[in-house]
Amino acid sequence: MASSPPVRVSIPSLRATAAIVALGLQADGAMQVPDSAADVGWFTKAPTPGALGPAVLAGHVNWKGRRGTFFDLGKLSVGAGITVNRQDGSTAMFTVSKVEQYPKDHFPTDEVYGATDHAALRLITCGGQFDDTTQHYRDNVIVYARLAHAHAA
Amino acid sequence: MRLSRALLTVPAAALILALPAVAYADESVQVQLQDLNETGATGTATLTATSGGDLKVMVRSKGMTPNSPHAQHVHGAANGMDFHCPDKSADANGNGYVSTEEGLKMYGDIFISLTTTGDTTKASGLAVDRMPKADAKGNLSYERTIPAADLPKGTVEHLKDLHLVQHGIDANKNGTYDMEALGESTFAKSVGVNGIPAEATDPATCGMVSGAAAGSVPAGGVATGDGSTSGGSPMMMYTVGGIALLGAAGAVVARRRLAVER
Repeated sequence: MASSPPVRVSIPSLRATAAIVALGLQADGAMQVPDSAADVGWFTKAPTPGALGPAVLAGHVNWKGRRGTFFDLGKLSVGAGITVNRQDGSTAMFTVSKVEQYPKDHFPTDEVYGATDHAALRLITCGGQFDDTTQHYRDNVIVYARLAHAHAA
Repeated sequence: MRLSRALLTVPAAALILALPAVAYADESVQVQLQDLNETGATGTATLTATSGGDLKVMVRSKGMTPNSPHAQHVHGAANGMDFHCPDKSADANGNGYVSTEEGLKMYGDIFISLTTTGDTTKASGLAVDRMPKADAKGNLSYERTIPAADLPKGTVEHLKDLHLVQHGIDANKNGTYDMEALGESTFAKSVGVNGIPAEATDPATCGMVSGAAAGSVPAGGVATGDGSTSGGSPMMMYTVGGIALLGAAGAVVARRRLAVER
């Protein structure tokens, strides 16, 4: 598919759907995160979902007392579908290929952001133990998916 | 990154408008350069669109004619034309080599001339004095960032439709480009440059975009949670041993935190 920014992501098996906001980098080089539990962010310094390469969407597991859209992300099974609606009116449908959890200090940077020879999607949220000192979860849950179908506008 | 409550309540439509004005992502595309005229030359190239709209080009190839300049260009078009790298069937005159003219029909016109300094337009396509040279072992290394202002319109948007061609072969293996091997370059002649051997302009490698990656890579993990609800460890069922136990402990900690805060 040609490049076109995402506007909505839906995961039917989790009954989850969310509007997409743009995410860049913070001053410390880490990825920005959405400012609400409901929104999912698209990392704008990587390909758009449906186009060649890894598109990255991040959403909260919980935020300010509310469950996030990606609360159940770790329960996604291999083969599950993820639908992304794009600004050009087209729809990219992905199939989950694996679901993994990594400590944030061993984040698989190359696997998530590195080159792929197909249109790939990565969904990221938090998991594992909540560290009261850093006020962050220790792990990230990462869903890897690849484009299965493309529907034109 | 904290937003006021007012901003959090803006409707979804407004949030969609918050997507960047530039409709395309920063990204880095990978090009595998394949031998085109059985010279054994191969390579890789990376084209990275930076957030400022510049294009960073990196090329590493080997098996090129040693100690010789290699004209290299980004070919193709930004108008959706489907150009691609030719195979041997493009050798219309049957001399055993795909020439530049024969290849152009397949890989499109020069889009950017990958010179080492100065102009990068099509006009510099044959500026061999500003083209990178392979070393004595036939290795060629090139790196240049072309400013946004010097890029043809649509370069970044159509990055994945473009491809890269490196020219210069040593058909008679005498270590230099000469007229004896394949005669004069009719391509060079057609653009008004006489006396250039066909060896100098015949393509050596061609590569199409075969992969793409993020244009910039965030540091470390992603802070997608603040522990403000219970059960924030949905991965437990997929993990084993210690990590699963840590996950359970995390949920307990999260719940306790919540209890304290409320």
